[in-house]
Amino acid sequence: MFDGLVLLSQGIGHFLTPASLFNVVWATLLGLVIGILPGLTATMGVALLVTLTYKMAPDQAILTLMCVYLGAIYGGSRTAILLNIPGTPANAAASLDGHPLAMQGKAGLAMGLATTSSTLGTMVGIFFLAIIAPLLSEAALKFGSYEFFWLALFGVIISGQMSGSDTPLKGYIAGILGLLVAMIGMETLHAHQRFTFGIAALGGGVDLIPAMVGAFGFAEILSTMKRKAVGRVAAVNDRVVPTFREIFQYWRTILRSGIIGTFVGIIPGVGEDVGSWSSYAAAKRASKHPEEFGKGSQEGLIAAETGDNAVVSAAMIPTLTLALPGSAAAAVLIAAMYIHGIRPGPMLMVENPVFLYQVVAMLLLATLANLVFGLSLTKVFIKVLMVPRERLMAVIYVLCVVGSFAITQRMFDVYVMLFFGIVGFVLREMKYPMAPLVLGIVLGDLLDLNLRRGLLLTNGDPTPFFTRPISAVICLIIVFTILMSIPAVSKRVRAIFSRSSAESPAKG
Amino acid sequence: MDASLKSSTDDSTDLAIRARADLITAVVLIALGLLVTYLSWTMPRLEARRIHPATIPGLVPIMLGVLLTLCGGLLGLRSWRIEAPGGWQGLVALFGTQQTRRVLAVLALALVYTLVLVGWLPFWAASMIFIFGFIVLFEVYLTDTPVALWRSVLWALAIALAGGGGIYLAFARIFLVRLP
Repeated sequence: MFDGLVLLSQGIGHFLTPASLFNVVWATLLGLVIGILPGLTATMGVALLVTLTYKMAPDQAILTLMCVYLGAIYGGSRTAILLNIPGTPANAAASLDGHPLAMQGKAGLAMGLATTSSTLGTMVGIFFLAIIAPLLSEAALKFGSYEFFWLALFGVIISGQMSGSDTPLKGYIAGILGLLVAMIGMETLHAHQRFTFGIAALGGGVDLIPAMVGAFGFAEILSTMKRKAVGRVAAVNDRVVPTFREIFQYWRTILRSGIIGTFVGIIPGVGEDVGSWSSYAAAKRASKHPEEFGKGSQEGLIAAETGDNAVVSAAMIPTLTLALPGSAAAAVLIAAMYIHGIRPGPMLMVENPVFLYQVVAMLLLATLANLVFGLSLTKVFIKVLMVPRERLMAVIYVLCVVGSFAITQRMFDVYVMLFFGIVGFVLREMKYPMAPLVLGIVLGDLLDLNLRRGLLLTNGDPTPFFTRPISAVICLIIVFTILMSIPAVSKRVRAIFSRSSAESPAKG
Repeated sequence: MDASLKSSTDDSTDLAIRARADLITAVVLIALGLLVTYLSWTMPRLEARRIHPATIPGLVPIMLGVLLTLCGGLLGLRSWRIEAPGGWQGLVALFGTQQTRRVLAVLALALVYTLVLVGWLPFWAASMIFIFGFIVLFEVYLTDTPVALWRSVLWALAIALAGGGGIYLAFARIFLVRLP
């Protein structure tokens, strides 16, 4: 316990240098701007920034990326409140109550509440990150090939199940497509080249960064330019800094949303948007005034913004300890860590225990920077909101080309970006979620290698996959998840639960 | 009232169009799934290297191929069952809208820039031309609220010079990243 505290204070001390603080300031401001501009998302920002930071020292590079990530998720709430368009998908729930508040002339209050609850959400997430990650990492040291195979499969399936907006089926299809992309190139067990069709550049497989820049950058440009012109910005005439009472009268909501966000963050590939919506729904159920939700409820806004920011910190738990990305942006962070020679996974706490606490320190610094800038630079951010997309998107596309080219310096990666941009746009238009696709690309190799290595160890006998205790548990969860996504089954299961809760209303 | 009625009919046409689009996707997915299954089945099994038959490279791809075919089939079945009056017409009409024209214009600009201009011209010059063309096209022509041509041209010139030049300076000179 004390070891942890010492390591944490060392982590914070490590970044209290002028150079690090300078990076925190510019990266957070950049993240805020990315979040505020509709059409630029956190994942896109992080993916583009990997290029810019890859000549930096590893700790500074990850610090920069983390500040951009957190800044963008928070910044998106501004757009949700003032423009009624979520700046990033994570802030969609915030617009439900944030914009009505702004229309009532309380835009300043709404922004203040969003800012403080973002900070508190991050704090709750950080708290659980510092506690759970070391424990999980120790438990994960006992995992073998069998467990990692199931974990990889679990990641893709749960992400498909929870992010498929239309039907879970589309989430699963996106996951399978991602896994298939990961099959391209040389496999690790026998060094055989699969699906390369004689193209030499495909031998190394499809790199994640160009694919992500395409699916989250170029595809987003296409969707943004497709939309009709955006609405008008609400006026801000009142005070932005909230009073202590305005925030802490909702301490239950803050705590609940923080915990829900943390839980959602830990689940692989289920990101900020789900965290925000689930804490919003939970707050509405528990509220004394559920009728105000959607009409300018301060509680609703606080729940939404606490929930999504808690996800960011909590997403680092599986990302660092199991190398399973907790969100789409975390997948990019994993790629960035590999580029900088940091290997996330169970061995991280053995090889590089300081790093986990450095990540905690990064999140702390980033959220403090968010708080300061969020409460002070209101006027500047309103100016950013008014930048017309016609003038912005061309520059962003140039950045997409640079971002996908610069790491390996092959034009091939730019073509990969184009391909994923077009396919990503078409899939998105048809309501296929992007997160399972990304998770499939990241986890495909892990899944493939561990399945076949497990089979090799047992001479082709698959029983350990089902009989080892942890394997069996994850396997059961997967089966349950798939069964629950079949409408007929889930309806019956829900009927059983609602009947038993109706019989004992005192418990609810 | 009127607005909510309108938006609900919009939603149902959207649903109908998506159901029909899903049907087409399902066919594509089934075809892709079968192709992957075939390619994985015929993938070398490295018998000469005496690897264990349970560890052949095609093992996971073949599972994925079968699963994709299955999911494609389920998707097809699901959208076949959804009643979608006017779905096909809606889908065809979608290709004639202003929105589609805008998407195609972005796509065309991006393709010309990436495949032709980059590599043929120095990167900064290619980027400036792309940014300039993009802004003028979308501010003056493909919009409901056009801006005066001279205004747009001035803005586009300024942003092209600042954006194209700025990216070049920031990446090539400050961050020492090589550009295409």
